[in-house]
Amino acid sequence: MAEPRRRRAGGLSHRFRRAAAPYLLIAPFFLLFGAFWAGPIVASFLYSFTEWRGITPPEPIGLRNYERLIGDERFFIALGNTLWMAGAYVACANLASLSLALVLDAGWVRLRHVFRTAFFLPMTISMVVSAVIFQLIYAGDIGLIAKLLAVVGIEGPAWLRDPATAPLAIVAMRVWRTMGYYAIIYLAGLQAVSADLKEAARLDGASEWQVIRHVTLPALKPVALFCVVLTSISALEMFDEPMILTQGGPGDATLTAVMFVYQQGFQFLELGYAAAASYVLTLVIVMISIAQKLWLGEKER
Amino acid sequence: MIARGLRRRRALEPSPLVQYAVLLGLCALLALVLMPWVWALLSSFKPRSEIMSTGFLPEVWQIGNYVELFTTTLYGRWLMNSAIVSVSAACVGMVVCGMAGYAFAKFRFAGKTALFWIVIASVSIPPFTTVIPLFGWMAKLGLLNTYLVLVLPFASSAFGLFMMRQYISTLPDELIEAARIDGCGELRLLLTIILPLARPALGTVGILIFISSWNSFIWPLVFMRSDEMFTLPVGIAGLNSEQMAEYGLIMAAAITSCIPMLVVFFLMQKQIIAGLTRGAVKA
Repeated sequence: MAEPRRRRAGGLSHRFRRAAAPYLLIAPFFLLFGAFWAGPIVASFLYSFTEWRGITPPEPIGLRNYERLIGDERFFIALGNTLWMAGAYVACANLASLSLALVLDAGWVRLRHVFRTAFFLPMTISMVVSAVIFQLIYAGDIGLIAKLLAVVGIEGPAWLRDPATAPLAIVAMRVWRTMGYYAIIYLAGLQAVSADLKEAARLDGASEWQVIRHVTLPALKPVALFCVVLTSISALEMFDEPMILTQGGPGDATLTAVMFVYQQGFQFLELGYAAAASYVLTLVIVMISIAQKLWLGEKER
Repeated sequence: MIARGLRRRRALEPSPLVQYAVLLGLCALLALVLMPWVWALLSSFKPRSEIMSTGFLPEVWQIGNYVELFTTTLYGRWLMNSAIVSVSAACVGMVVCGMAGYAFAKFRFAGKTALFWIVIASVSIPPFTTVIPLFGWMAKLGLLNTYLVLVLPFASSAFGLFMMRQYISTLPDELIEAARIDGCGELRLLLTIILPLARPALGTVGILIFISSWNSFIWPLVFMRSDEMFTLPVGIAGLNSEQMAEYGLIMAAAITSCIPMLVVFFLMQKQIIAGLTRGAVKA
């Protein structure tokens, strides 16, 4: 497809080529993006106003799916579980990874690079595999925790069978998996904080804690915003771990919103109803992201 | 003044005792992080009876679970499916994200900003919002149970586009202008100048798409309708949900499926970590 050499710019066909070039370049990406993301997102919204059972064509029923959602106790249980598990996860994951990053940022810590890489490792394996592995950690009688507790003579609970501990077990596993990843992001942010500024504060007699509190953390705000938004979105979309570890149980203690959507859509084949539920969740996610941006974002502009 | 500065500098380095305490703490944390794997590895060498017993180490190290994994389950097939799907998604993704990233970095065209933000905003959409209509469409088109439905969605990665745009916009404009003045066509410009220069970013995008496709659970769960077409996560989840789950076998599957990712990670550590942090710090 080599073009003949053309030394004179400005010919009509040449100008046309230049104008068309960007559209041709983005065409493959947007064909796929339209077919697999943008199109379905819009279609899902339209289907949420229909009754659609998969085999038969969708039938418009107005707002009835949304009315049904408001009266569906299980949906609110799922939404409630999702919100508090996500809240616990976002707080723990960000605190843990930020503390880890602060430690690893100190120049005198030995083997920092080894630690940085090692803590990242859990992130390379899939949620499914980590959930499967953690099953054998949490299991009531044959799990590692139970066996360790047995050594010191304590009989622990069946972590995944108790409605009080099952959500916490899932949150803990998620923190285990992502802590190193977010620590690396925080670390990159810390390394961008001006060393001169910190040195100046120290010369003015600030203690090490004061330097962190008044110089480092404020400069870290944009990175913190990124991590908080990302952890929130990913946790609000939690599905793999409860699906593998608890199937939403015991009772509905670990039923998440995305699991609710999956059950309605692909187990009960209520695709229209599932689409409505997924749109309510989308709305919740977008509102939370905006709230976080207002809370942590730059005040100016 | 100088003396004071020096004293401060030394005060920065805590006493050796504190340093060792911190190192010890980090080692303990590291042990905690690696423990699940060690436990899975140990369990994968135990027969069923030993998993139920109270001991920690296998009494006799046996590889029966691994043999069984490859002979009695479709594990080999799932591994192949995962590899085909993830490698294809990464290759297609590098091409389409590279092209589109170049357009967003170096051209001005109507609708550019709007299109870019639509792509970025799509990241916050929960899974199943897209999967629900796609399931209906793919069923109609007869594309359920094909590799295609697992390759194409991952190739049009919002993160990939974002990263390619960031990287290509740092390449000097003069280079492109000079090539154009020399009569270089747009396609040749892309293939011989832009993409080769953007190789580091392309590598990162390829790896990230590979990882997300390799680890994806929801897409193959919904779109793959028969055992032979499962990818590893769905296959392993299936083994796990059987009545009388064979934990030793499942742990062997878990360990084996970690190996390709760990190899990829250690070979390309730099690109992966750079890629993951670049977006965050610049955004």
